[in-house]
Amino acid sequence: MPIYEPLSSEKLTVVLDIGTAFTKFGFTSEFAPRYIIRSEVRCKRTNKIRKLSSYESPEDLHDLLVDFIHAIYFKFALISPKDRPIVIVESLLCPTLFRETLAKVLFLQYEVSSILVLPSHLVALASLAVDTAMVVDVGYKEAVVFPVCFGLPIIQAWQALPLGGEAVHNHLKSLLSNANPGLQNLPEQILEDIKVRCCFVTKKSRTKSADIVPPPDVKYPYKGAQTLTVTGKVRETAFEVLYEEDNDHLCLSTMILDALLKVDINLRHSLTQNVFLIGGTTMTIGFKARLKEELLSQLKNEQYKMLNIKEFKFHVAPCKENYASWLGGSIYGATEFLNLKAVTKDFYLREKHLPDWINLKDVVGLKQDNGIRGAF
Amino acid sequence: MSYITGPEVVSYACTCGLLKPIPQLYFCRHCSQLRCGFCVCHEVDSIFCGKCSENIPSAEARVKKNRCASCFNCPSCHQELSTRIATKGPVVNPEDAKQPSPHKKTYYLSCYFCRWNSRDVGIPDQGSATGAWPERENVHAHRLQEIMDTYKQVMMSQKQQKENDKKKQRGKFVSFTDRTGVTSSAIRKRIGLPDIPHAMLKKPNPPEPAVAKLEVEELPDSLFTDPVNLLEITTIEQRHLQPETQAATVDMLFPIHKQLSIKRSLRCRRCEHNVSKPEYNPNSVKFKIQLFAYYHIPEVRIVTVEPLRAGKTCELILKFTNPTQHETTIAIKYVDLEQQATYVEEQKLSDVIEVLEQLSLQQPTSLPSLSGSQPSSLLSLTPRQPSITVKPRKINEEVNCDVAIPDSSFILPPRDDAAEYDDSTDTHNIEDDPKLVKWRKSNKAFIKLQVTPMAHLEVGKEVICGFTMQHIYTNVIATTIENKLPQKYEHNVRVFLRLGNVVGQE
Repeated sequence: MPIYEPLSSEKLTVVLDIGTAFTKFGFTSEFAPRYIIRSEVRCKRTNKIRKLSSYESPEDLHDLLVDFIHAIYFKFALISPKDRPIVIVESLLCPTLFRETLAKVLFLQYEVSSILVLPSHLVALASLAVDTAMVVDVGYKEAVVFPVCFGLPIIQAWQALPLGGEAVHNHLKSLLSNANPGLQNLPEQILEDIKVRCCFVTKKSRTKSADIVPPPDVKYPYKGAQTLTVTGKVRETAFEVLYEEDNDHLCLSTMILDALLKVDINLRHSLTQNVFLIGGTTMTIGFKARLKEELLSQLKNEQYKMLNIKEFKFHVAPCKENYASWLGGSIYGATEFLNLKAVTKDFYLREKHLPDWINLKDVVGLKQDNGIRGAF
Repeated sequence: MSYITGPEVVSYACTCGLLKPIPQLYFCRHCSQLRCGFCVCHEVDSIFCGKCSENIPSAEARVKKNRCASCFNCPSCHQELSTRIATKGPVVNPEDAKQPSPHKKTYYLSCYFCRWNSRDVGIPDQGSATGAWPERENVHAHRLQEIMDTYKQVMMSQKQQKENDKKKQRGKFVSFTDRTGVTSSAIRKRIGLPDIPHAMLKKPNPPEPAVAKLEVEELPDSLFTDPVNLLEITTIEQRHLQPETQAATVDMLFPIHKQLSIKRSLRCRRCEHNVSKPEYNPNSVKFKIQLFAYYHIPEVRIVTVEPLRAGKTCELILKFTNPTQHETTIAIKYVDLEQQATYVEEQKLSDVIEVLEQLSLQQPTSLPSLSGSQPSSLLSLTPRQPSITVKPRKINEEVNCDVAIPDSSFILPPRDDAAEYDDSTDTHNIEDDPKLVKWRKSNKAFIKLQVTPMAHLEVGKEVICGFTMQHIYTNVIATTIENKLPQKYEHNVRVFLRLGNVVGQE
């Protein structure tokens, strides 16, 4: 209702970071998201909860996003989306279909005035006030490493592996069904709860030696009367899947080192001095300590000796890691950047697509415009 | 009520192509089209707290971060917390026992569902019921504010620079102050003030960059030996309820202010008229404007269906109800799914033309109005931009049953609330086709239809039939003064029925 709208020039602008598992929602110039909610909607036809990432077709995704954005605006934000800008924080590796559909929903269904799309790895650094860092984002679906140098993500050096919350859940599921015979098909919510409340990342030294005393078992209540025994071994090995090398000898630690190898030799030192871990999975107890151990031991390998690195320094975010990139979006969105660089509705209606770094047509346009990404 | 909450047995096709039961549809009287939640424009109408039923203006809601100042939710189970009185007994002072100090009431918050209370986490009891419950602050707020201010300045000076560049390019105009030689800095010097450039033009000094550390949080050794008490560790939902702190243990959970709720008004995207507008009062469940399809479109319900057999004709009895105050005539026609497909195509074409027109219209008008000497507060009152209509889509329903289209139509008398209580005057002067109309009472009619499930259907398959219901709609809004009589015209609605499953042979 316009009469109740204050006449102040500052408009509320929604900042949205849609992850595979959780969506971070809040407003610009605030230092924490208002809500962290699951990225899922209730399907009206089947009345089941469906994840946004479980779409079958572009139309299906469109309908899911319409429902999801509706909930965001009318359940949480409590403002009309029409003629307001919105800030979207997304990974540089976000599928084109997803971002195009999101733009379509926002511009045509909800009629936002402009969308500011920010690359998550770059903006996460805003809260640190550094412009060069190795940003490691370990989320639900995958772990993505992007070196950012002087405010520019080095695109040719990105690394991604399907190591994240989902991989841990699958590993935990097989561990639990081995330990508790007859237990099949644990729902993902239960697995997540066991992971969060019981499991931790153990020390590297404990994984090698066979005769260690495992941590105490946990009796986990399940389905009312039943109990699941989460053994000490399960508790400390659930996260091992992130650190075990796969058939290509790739794991979380090698990703970071491989990314370093692809970066210019003069930038490597400052990148190792600034490692920034973001994403919900990195909040696990012991995750960072273990990653550091792994990195240092990998350096002894032949292929990484040429890097000539002695140490890694890690940043501590002034926020919780799971919303680090959201916070960056909130800071960027609070500045004039929003008015200068956002994609307006007129532009979208004319061009019918959202500019992207992968699209050559936009890259030509960007060169004249000094680069949408990394203007700081 | 089962037809409201239960499975969608009878569904109507909205103009946008989605199938919905009639309680979920709206009818825009101005465009005379069906609308649904998907193809109308939703707007926030008023904000209120669902617990204390208090209206909260949007400016206040914004300051309070969309949360109620006085109501709290349980951080453990997310139910509402209630304030409880903890009376401290009279403090008996041995020295002046004659004058017992008065009862002192204190309050604490408690959850009736999971028995969590504010004493568990060490929040002291408050002296007043609405209590100034302690709020927690972000420990990093100061540092982040500093960073954000710097970024704002950086962007501001960039913007300023861009504007300056533009000014230099013009070059034609000579500034008066330049000609007289009295620039602002010269004036400042003359008066004796120090020469300071504009605050926003100052080169911002960058904030201290964060320093990375060699050491990281180590795994506590106690983890390997101490047993875990699950009751003390928060779940991921509890953590996410408080994104700022995300407490890992139960003793760090603080009560959460209750999230406010809204009332929505819905607006037709084509004609910008409201189709639903609630009353302002949060206690009222009534509407100022309610153009629900339920009040305008005849309602169809299934009365009986004979057992459905593939390829065999069976009888279907439907009840039609006229909800309006005007007599209507209903004809049942063949449903043409191709028609919607062509409509979708037409809309696509017209959209392209519209967009082009819009663009050519907007360009000349947008500039002069803004660059004038209007005060900036008026800019926020710019008129509503026209809405973009939602693109219609094809109807996604597989009709696998033929409906024998009756030759004649039938009349439904207007709704009369008094007739419900009046048994005697149930006489009609309507000549009905006895083949079609089986029975009628006041504004309802029971219609017999012949349906034939397609021959190839297997046993157990759901049978869906569809028809177009053409009814006479009487538009009562006098849009033009010279045309006072209510306008009548034919309106088509596509209705789809889920009749049930195919059964085997007798």
